[in-house]
Amino acid sequence: MSTLHIADTGLFVAMGQPSNGRYQAVRRFARRNDITFVLPERVYGELTVDEPDVEEVPVDTAIDEGWADVAAPLTFSEPIVSRAMDGVQRYIANADDRAADEVERADAALAALAARHLNEGTATEVYIYTTDIAAGEGAETVLTSEGYADSVTFVNGFRFIEDLLSPGCKRGTELR
Amino acid sequence: MSRTSNRADGDIVRDFLSVADILEKPQLAQLYTYFAREGEATVQDVMDDLDFAQGTAYSYVNRLVDAGVVEVTHDEQPRRYTVREIDLTVTTAAGNREYTITPALIDAVGRRESNADIDTYIDRHGVAGLATALTYGVARERGEVTHRLMAEDLDISPLAAELILQALRPVVYEHYDIETSGTSVDELEIGGADAADDA
Repeated sequence: MSTLHIADTGLFVAMGQPSNGRYQAVRRFARRNDITFVLPERVYGELTVDEPDVEEVPVDTAIDEGWADVAAPLTFSEPIVSRAMDGVQRYIANADDRAADEVERADAALAALAARHLNEGTATEVYIYTTDIAAGEGAETVLTSEGYADSVTFVNGFRFIEDLLSPGCKRGTELR
Repeated sequence: MSRTSNRADGDIVRDFLSVADILEKPQLAQLYTYFAREGEATVQDVMDDLDFAQGTAYSYVNRLVDAGVVEVTHDEQPRRYTVREIDLTVTTAAGNREYTITPALIDAVGRRESNADIDTYIDRHGVAGLATALTYGVARERGEVTHRLMAEDLDISPLAAELILQALRPVVYEHYDIETSGTSVDELEIGGADAADDA
């Protein structure tokens, strides 16, 4: 059984710099559970944009440390990838009464990446870590309609980090 | 128009000017938010909790009292102060758009001194821009928009949108009812050994 962990921009922004306890908690979690967070190409692009007056998000540090990686570009030759993409765009558009073509495709890239791996059998279970509830819930909803209800879990990036830092958290504090 | 309604109009304008003053000065916004959160406090409390010097604390408290947004509740020494709630809706002349200035916006402005992301955002987009970002912040926590939609609407980078949304998140949670969403870490079924241990 293999599990895929897909990370969105907000997770990396919320972790802060490597000197920050939040960054260290996520890294510890990844190492102890032997996890690599996979970033859709678009997400990596967002994180590495040159934004003046803003401290660089240390995504490349995480990649060098071996617990994050950038996904190969998405291809849309598989119908399920396109369906997941369109489905999530419609879901997010609906949540805010917009036209689906106004919705950024990167929002749907999380679900599309999950769909590809589930369909190809390279993952049997997918976790999506995002701070955009609409994107996370949209991915869960659309992949459920594709028959993957039990295989996809939306993890709220903020709650994830808060849980890791809370003293009672089994996975954040104990060595295994 | 009757004399009473004229006087009420004056009150509204006074409230508007007071609020504008608070939004211009992060320390005043921080102080207003402090009184709102504490319910009731003395100048000594302000000095202790906000780390204001005595002169500064007295001068800012007096400014808020003069502006009519803070009032004395206990006139004997030490005096205690409390806020008058601000909830001011501004409507455009055409009447097609309105915005309500709430304690949440004042709180957000008050965090400018201690939060570099809020400070940078106000430098670039003004308090007006911050008000817009706060609207997106509430909508995002309610699952209605994403940071990318905000970025596209406002023509800023997705990273800049994510940064200000995260900076405003504590304000959103303090002033609005938001349901939690997503799965907790302990519910994640990661690794066979973990699952067995938890059983």
